[in-house]
Amino acid sequence: MADEFPFEISPMFEGERVRKDGMYVELAGPKSKGFELVKSVEMDEIEDGKFTLIGPDLSAMEEGSRHPIAMIYRIAGELVEQDLEAIVERRNHDFQNYIQGVMHLNQRYDIWIRVSKDAMKKGLNSFEQIAKATMMLFKNELPFIEKIEATYITDLAEVEKELDGAIATYTARDERTRDLHDEDVDVFYGCTLCQSFAPTNVCVVTPDRISLCGAINWFDGRAAAKVDPEGPQFAIEKGEIIDAEGGEYSGVNDLAKSLSNGEYDRIKIHSFFEYPHTSCGCFEVVGFYIPEVDGIGWVDRDFTGTAPNGLPFSTMAGQTGGGKQIVGFLGIGINYFRSPKFIETDGGWDRVVWMPKHLKDKVLADIPEDIVDKVATEEDATDLESLKAFLTEKKHPILERWVEEEEEDEEVVEETTTAASTMQMPTMTAGAPMMPAGLGLGSGSGSGGSGVKITLKNAKVSIDRVIIKKSE
Amino acid sequence: MTRVIAITGKGGTGKTAIAALLIRYLTKGNKIVLAIDADPDTNLPETLGCEAETGIGDMREFMLNERDNLPPDVNKESIFESKIYEVLTEMPGYDLLVMGRPEGSGCYCYANNLLRGIMDRLVKNYDVVIIDTAAGLEHFSRKIIRDVDDLIVVTDGSRRGLRTGERIRELVGELEANVKNIYVIANKVTEANKDKISETAKELKLELIGAVEVDEMIQERDLVGSPLFDLPDDSVAVREIENIAKKLKL
Repeated sequence: MADEFPFEISPMFEGERVRKDGMYVELAGPKSKGFELVKSVEMDEIEDGKFTLIGPDLSAMEEGSRHPIAMIYRIAGELVEQDLEAIVERRNHDFQNYIQGVMHLNQRYDIWIRVSKDAMKKGLNSFEQIAKATMMLFKNELPFIEKIEATYITDLAEVEKELDGAIATYTARDERTRDLHDEDVDVFYGCTLCQSFAPTNVCVVTPDRISLCGAINWFDGRAAAKVDPEGPQFAIEKGEIIDAEGGEYSGVNDLAKSLSNGEYDRIKIHSFFEYPHTSCGCFEVVGFYIPEVDGIGWVDRDFTGTAPNGLPFSTMAGQTGGGKQIVGFLGIGINYFRSPKFIETDGGWDRVVWMPKHLKDKVLADIPEDIVDKVATEEDATDLESLKAFLTEKKHPILERWVEEEEEDEEVVEETTTAASTMQMPTMTAGAPMMPAGLGLGSGSGSGGSGVKITLKNAKVSIDRVIIKKSE
Repeated sequence: MTRVIAITGKGGTGKTAIAALLIRYLTKGNKIVLAIDADPDTNLPETLGCEAETGIGDMREFMLNERDNLPPDVNKESIFESKIYEVLTEMPGYDLLVMGRPEGSGCYCYANNLLRGIMDRLVKNYDVVIIDTAAGLEHFSRKIIRDVDDLIVVTDGSRRGLRTGERIRELVGELEANVKNIYVIANKVTEANKDKISETAKELKLELIGAVEVDEMIQERDLVGSPLFDLPDDSVAVREIENIAKKLKL
């Protein structure tokens, strides 16, 4: 590829490990310091291909020694912008691993590099060779980079001096990244890792919704799909927006149909009650509707007691899991609590009435200030009576729903569907407030689980029309 | 091509000793070895004479615990890979990796999926991979290490020990794990039970690839807990392992 270098350059060398036995020098890593940074600058600020070294060069380093290293690249070009810095920086890992005899691990201030004895024997003796090869690869593979300049620092004091600035850049970048939302992207990601035990599960990962297991965010999906588009994580074109607030997209619906083998054809990503996301079984937290207060409680795997509805996590997880769309229960990843779209269409945090204390503490900073003290924990409420009392005392916004519903109950008898059933709410008792419209209708045939017992108590059921059709 | 050999058997049969001696043989022959201790009751490091404080299990927990604190767009696979490299104990001729603590109650699908990719790449860097693993073969069912060339069942010569071999063969079938060959090594063999063992092996249709006699030098070292790696070349066990390695074309 490049005769000017004393080493081969090829993606073939990715994954090549330089063992301690064969290592000439170790740079940065867990026992030293360092970082890598890409900065975008104006065209006239840099000189293309220029390399500057601050500190000792490879040839001056003793065999078997360890040194700090900072690698700073300044890039410019008409299309180069600040938002691209992270993506470009990420490629330093790839490109340096293309170099035979160079092992590059990790990223940012956790980089860890080794240069092999073999490479030194073949003529590698200066960081300039590594930097020039890397810059060549940057320009070849990312043609929007018109000019690139590199500065490597191997002097500890100098590395430390630059490190704070680098960390500030990473932090600013992270803030921008956290500001990415569903509406800013055209592509979501799907994951099929759970389909082995939840065959109809449709896992949709968006900037505002982490996977149920809490492990895969939108960026993880993007990274994985790029490496192996046929792998367990893959891209989903959003398609048309059907319901912006509930998070319904034609692309997701199409995928739901194929992934669930036709079991589900609609999914609203941010809805609890209407066509909710399927729940695999890996979810960190399960949400449960409490009809008696018309609110939603959340319980996580680590909570061993029973929630105010009388059920422990395991029982609810058992009912919810298996890749089904179950209205009244919803599996989520903990990070979804931090999403600005968290069950937005159902009232968001205003609808949350209960969660275990340790879980609440975990997401405390992300609970809106006006509601944080009004969400009960097991210290405030252990059953429905104490929960009602707590919510009333704290003037939880859910109280407004109670009033509305009482009025509705009196005035409108034959309005929408009000089928309060024990189907998915095993502890429901008489006198339950009205359930949200659509509850129980969203789940298609067979999705509610088998062998359910339906008990209607004090129910007011009014139906305008019942249409029974043979399914297509 | 990397040769992947898994050594399994009931507890107390001496599979770790066999693994250590195979690694000893290989490194003396200038082969670069990756030793993996996949037995929850970790004692390969001690038998080899090195130390390993943490393992893959701890790093997997680290990834699970830290995931919400990491910058959202970092490449988790690359962090995980670096963490795995951190827990590799680097010795002359071989690297040692301890699997360590098993999975907890959360979801490990994604972490294990990343781990599979990392292990695939890591394994390619070695001439031979020797895995010391408990009889349950959990790590194979998780497919953390996908393909195994040779599965060696170590038995102490009892009929029960050989039955373990038979059961493992069945287990491999059920796992649909990619195992090319299954062999049996009889360990701690005496003059009295030697013939009986080979008969039973034949009866159970297990290929007996070697019989290691009771080795006093190993017994002495076991007593004081000193490593087997520096056993002299004329030790009975060392010589038999050499024969076995040749049969395995190592």
